[in-house]
Amino acid sequence: MHRVEHVMGMGIVVAARHGDVPDDVFDWFRHVDETFSTYREGSEISRIRRGELALGDASEEVQRVLGRCAELREETSGFFDIDAVDGDPSGYVKGWSVDEAAAILDGAGLQEYAINAGGDIRVRGTWRIGIQHPLEPQSLAKELEGTDVAVATSGAYERGEHVRDPHSSHPPAGILSVTITGPELGTADAYATAAFAMGGRRAPNWIAQLDGYDAMTILADGRVLSTPGFPSA
Amino acid sequence: MRTKITAAIGVVALALPVANAAAAAKKKVVTITRTVKGPQAVADQWGYVEVALVVKKTTTTVGTHKTVKRTITKVTAPIYPNHTDRSVFINEQAIPLLTQEVLTTTKFNPNIELVGGATATSYAFAQSLQAALIQAKRI
Repeated sequence: MHRVEHVMGMGIVVAARHGDVPDDVFDWFRHVDETFSTYREGSEISRIRRGELALGDASEEVQRVLGRCAELREETSGFFDIDAVDGDPSGYVKGWSVDEAAAILDGAGLQEYAINAGGDIRVRGTWRIGIQHPLEPQSLAKELEGTDVAVATSGAYERGEHVRDPHSSHPPAGILSVTITGPELGTADAYATAAFAMGGRRAPNWIAQLDGYDAMTILADGRVLSTPGFPSA
Repeated sequence: MRTKITAAIGVVALALPVANAAAAAKKKVVTITRTVKGPQAVADQWGYVEVALVVKKTTTTVGTHKTVKRTITKVTAPIYPNHTDRSVFINEQAIPLLTQEVLTTTKFNPNIELVGGATATSYAFAQSLQAALIQAKRI
């Protein structure tokens, strides 16, 4: 079965090949939205950003998420930096919430499932995944077979370049999209955002040295660069 | 406006073949993983660079027949020039280490169960849901 709900400003699809998708997985996403959304005035994140809630008084999960965001800033040489977006951790929260949802599905005994949160994916079992073409959104740039993996993509699409280099505040040059695969979606998503912000000159090498994560970079000149472990069709 | 198709469809479980004639012949699979390093090489005015590869070797022996498969699972540069323009240098060095293809365009096809792409927001939701519903009817 599969279920689709609109939570956290996007469509979230949860599919299971055998068995039912439990209700509490969507309860979880609604809880994440209430806690982390910058569009909700009463969320913990909104209160922290307005200076009404001290980090030390925030819930354990908020502290954990913001702590991981700080680590990711170090791991990405500052290219994933929530301070550059006024402390909005959304770029990590989405993937992290999917990782936690996967744990809920594991706990429910599901063996083969997929979660697609607005184009960022985590699967258990083997699934056939298409990566959207960065210039032709109705088409695919890549087909791959992913097993027990998270797949996150960052890119400039028709709505405009929403990722900027936090060091220069310019949109990145020479790069169309970065897709990262690995064990955790939150980390993969932050790495994809960082690599995309680095631009076409810097991203390929940074990607080549990631530990436990693989990448496919689509450059503006039409070259597609993949690390040796990136899954194929 | 960006359009997006997100769909997840169930897959009919396939019956697995039970009989395995090869099981009669003894099959042995040995996998080892090793890191190999290249020598430190001088890179013009930039300094030294060293490349390390993680190689996985799988040896499959069935009876007296042996096959060996080697896969590079990781490429790193543990030593690279420390220079203000090193990103330029590194980029030129890294690209040959990565698999290079030319960007192609393929149409969405029924074999695809999930579509990944850049961050989608609510405007894509209607199309996402619609596509998922269409796919669901094909199960």
